[in-house]
Amino acid sequence: MITKRSREYNAVLSRRSLILGGIQGVLVSGLAARLYYLQMIEGQQYSTLSDRNKYDFRLITPSRGRIYDAGGRLLAGNAEAYQLSIIPDYAGDAENILRILSELITLEEDDITAILEEVRSTPSFLPVLIRSDLTQREVARLVVRSPELPGVSFEKTEKRIYPQGLLAGHVTGYVNRVTQSEINSGAITRELAAINTGKSGAEKAFEKNLRGEPGRERILVNAFGRPIRTAIDEESLSGGDVRLTANMDLQLAALGALKRGSNTPIPRGDKRVQRAIERQPELGLMLPETEEFAYIDSKGRIVPPESGSVVVVDVKTGAVRCLASAPTFDPNLFSGRISSSEWQLMINNPRQPLLNRALSGQYAPGSTFKMAVALAALEAGIINEKTRFSCPGHKTVGNQDFHCWQEFGHGSVNIVEAIEQSCDVFFYELGLKTGITRIAEMARRLSFGDVTGINLPGEKNGLMPTKEWKKKKIGRVWTLGETVNASIGQGYVLSTPLQLAVMTARLASGQMRVMPRITETDYVPEFEPLDINPYALKVIRKGMRRVMNGDKGTARRHDLTIGSGMAGKTGTVQVRAISKAEREQGVTDNADRPWKFRDHALFTGYAPYDDPRYAISVVVEHGGSGSGAAAPVARQVMSWLLENEA
Amino acid sequence: MLSQRPPPTVYPDPIETGFVQSLKRLPWVMLVIMMLLGGIGVLALYSAAGGSWSPWSWKHLIRLAAGFVLMVMVASVPIRFYQRFAFPGWLLAVLVLVLVEFIGSGSGVQRWISVGGFNLQPSEPAKLAVIMLLAAWFNDMNPDMIRYLRSYVPVLAIVLIPFGLVLAQPDLGTAIMLLGAAAAVVFIAGIPSWMIGVVIASILLAVPVIWAQLYQYQKDRILVFLNPGADQLGAGYQIIQSKIALGSGGFLGKGYLQGSQSRLNYLPEKQTDFVFTMIGEEFGFLGCSFIIGLYALLIFQMIRTGLSLSLNFSRMVVIGVATMLFFYVFVNVGMVTGVLPVVGAPLPLISYGGTALMTVFIGMGLIISAIMHDEGRR
Repeated sequence: MITKRSREYNAVLSRRSLILGGIQGVLVSGLAARLYYLQMIEGQQYSTLSDRNKYDFRLITPSRGRIYDAGGRLLAGNAEAYQLSIIPDYAGDAENILRILSELITLEEDDITAILEEVRSTPSFLPVLIRSDLTQREVARLVVRSPELPGVSFEKTEKRIYPQGLLAGHVTGYVNRVTQSEINSGAITRELAAINTGKSGAEKAFEKNLRGEPGRERILVNAFGRPIRTAIDEESLSGGDVRLTANMDLQLAALGALKRGSNTPIPRGDKRVQRAIERQPELGLMLPETEEFAYIDSKGRIVPPESGSVVVVDVKTGAVRCLASAPTFDPNLFSGRISSSEWQLMINNPRQPLLNRALSGQYAPGSTFKMAVALAALEAGIINEKTRFSCPGHKTVGNQDFHCWQEFGHGSVNIVEAIEQSCDVFFYELGLKTGITRIAEMARRLSFGDVTGINLPGEKNGLMPTKEWKKKKIGRVWTLGETVNASIGQGYVLSTPLQLAVMTARLASGQMRVMPRITETDYVPEFEPLDINPYALKVIRKGMRRVMNGDKGTARRHDLTIGSGMAGKTGTVQVRAISKAEREQGVTDNADRPWKFRDHALFTGYAPYDDPRYAISVVVEHGGSGSGAAAPVARQVMSWLLENEA
Repeated sequence: MLSQRPPPTVYPDPIETGFVQSLKRLPWVMLVIMMLLGGIGVLALYSAAGGSWSPWSWKHLIRLAAGFVLMVMVASVPIRFYQRFAFPGWLLAVLVLVLVEFIGSGSGVQRWISVGGFNLQPSEPAKLAVIMLLAAWFNDMNPDMIRYLRSYVPVLAIVLIPFGLVLAQPDLGTAIMLLGAAAAVVFIAGIPSWMIGVVIASILLAVPVIWAQLYQYQKDRILVFLNPGADQLGAGYQIIQSKIALGSGGFLGKGYLQGSQSRLNYLPEKQTDFVFTMIGEEFGFLGCSFIIGLYALLIFQMIRTGLSLSLNFSRMVVIGVATMLFFYVFVNVGMVTGVLPVVGAPLPLISYGGTALMTVFIGMGLIISAIMHDEGRR
């Protein structure tokens, strides 16, 4: 029954229910407002956060530009390679996995140690490179065993290849992984740390051009950091190609002639060679298995290939046609993780294959420096073509006796004859009369004492001493004896093979300060004028021609048989005088002394004589004499050039 | 009152009486909304599994069917029966809660009880039992007694015994929701305003005491709720990732099966407590509004129905069930949007998990029973 009281109570119930419903309605509206705020107002911001959750941004390494030689031959290119890396986080026991890997692929004990060291020093979620140049066969073996190898992954990448291998090693240089110092110096950003950069040669010189622009890719990653799929945001931009002026055919001919020197080749596999290696382990180090030949010298001994350098510069353009340095190295070794044994072979070779002698080797120029002295004297008017000095075989300055290489002297000689016969006493006189200051001034104009500025890294300055230099560096006063020594390119004077070639090119040109370069240009470069008295130059060139074709020319047996022949100058640089002890033992012949005490053999020259096109410098380290070891190499290289490029 | 109306000129179709008449009285709007929400749940769980019927979606479908059957069964029993057996029902629920303390399972907490291969969470039916016993108590009470404090001593017992047991499991979320639903019934029953003030004041005073009683993970959740940035990879991770997922959905969402946060496992518990987040990421503000709208309409319909009933017991039960549903939705959505702490509350009918779904179907069964067996319909 419905009483008044219960009707009232009904009203209370209804009112309270409506209030409750109202409260709930307000709260639900609050939720809707909250959603509106999150999704509509802050949505964009959360979208960004969500993308950051989703994607890992990674740079795509650009395809590195290629390097060609003057003939369009590929010197450095890219090949597909399979790269093997390990992610320690997923691998668990990295050492154990590397042990398993070493049964499947070539992996030496030292490499494992090095990789484990890297595993320790890098964050455990980052991949560590194991090998970057797996063979197809190794990849196949790995695929089969991959279930046993957690955290190990291989990736298709590009690998730098050098088809010319040993031949162009010093010209192209090599690439390798980015170093910490490159990152610190800001040369390369940390994100790009996975790429290879040029570490020497053209690879280093043209790094910016070759590298290209990296692209960007997004990798979809889940909450556990595993990549799900990738999307490319920005394609990478391949690096530009570089065309060098060097000619690999010429380089091959030059390197062959240089290594041979004045010796006779014998196959490396010959029994005599093997026996010699067994007797002298050091010989084995200098004769790595990449060498095809060992050599027999004039004394019948088994010797390694000669070391030294051949540089050929185009007289008209400054283009470097040949930049050979022996021994060489194979830049392909550096493209992957270089194996410890290969590295050891290179480091242990006493002849230092990594040293690019053409740019970084510094030698006393010896008699090849005489042209600078002669020019200085001629220009200063101290002598003319007819001025004669008498050479008794030695010259006394103060209390010192300076010998001519010709023990009994050259008699009375003028400048042309002095160059022809390389008379030392004539140049002693000339040097003393001209003075070191004028000699140094002329030498600098010819390229001595400073880098030539070729667009390759690692060039050395050489050294052109002056009075001021000595005072500053050594703290003593310059002596006349030092002027005498400098007059024949000994003493403090140092030069690189490239400087010698550039000097010769300038002499040959007669008009231009030829500057060397390694890249092809579309235009003929303009050089500053050389500004040396043409009469003086004419005299010098006449002397240089006589070296090749004069009756008493030091290189008279090595003139070219084609065209107007070659002009040149030999140099025999004393590394260490034959000591009294050696004399008493009956050692008078350079070839009987230990290799490292023997004289360096130098030659510089140009051809053809009447219309110079190429200038050459040859250095055969401890080769004995310029006329015996260096001049024949120069003749072979020049003959090849004029026959093949004419 | 009816007799004052003019007699009908057309006799009703004989078929319109009985069965068809009953069908017409069924709360169709509510049933359709429930089916819609259940269907959304099936689709959402399909997406949560990365576009797969297993492991959740098809089971959810089966549970919906089972829930429907349960609802029909509950609805077929007259509402008076529930009123009469409210106390034994409450007693049974409390007993099971005690039982779960000893034989219950769950990782470090006692929440579930295994019966014939099914994991039951007895705290859920306890909520319904409390609502029904409170409704019965106030229904039988002389309206004049409502002003006296002594009338509320049994009320405190009815509410606080199961509340304490659930809190001890420990299940803070369910305990609070139980308290909320009970408070709603007491509120509409007509508790004097001054008492409401006293209760609110004492709750505020009790907060420090309750805080001291909380488990460390519960404290962490609340602290993290107050400052989610403090622990981005630990306890705050869920809230931050949930907000990122929701927010990045924008207006229209990323598209069905396209939610990267859930697809890439940044979103935890996306099939249960954070299912709303996943829907929000894939369907945006529009999808979220639609679902909130459906729930709001369902709750509104329940309250409207409750107001139309003649039996006070029915009115209070129906509004209690509506409030319970409201709390589910409010706590869950509040949690995933970062306005409430992470307490572990499912979104009924959509989240994977049987107990909340059963509670809602049973509650709906009670509502239908209340409608169908309402004696004095006006």
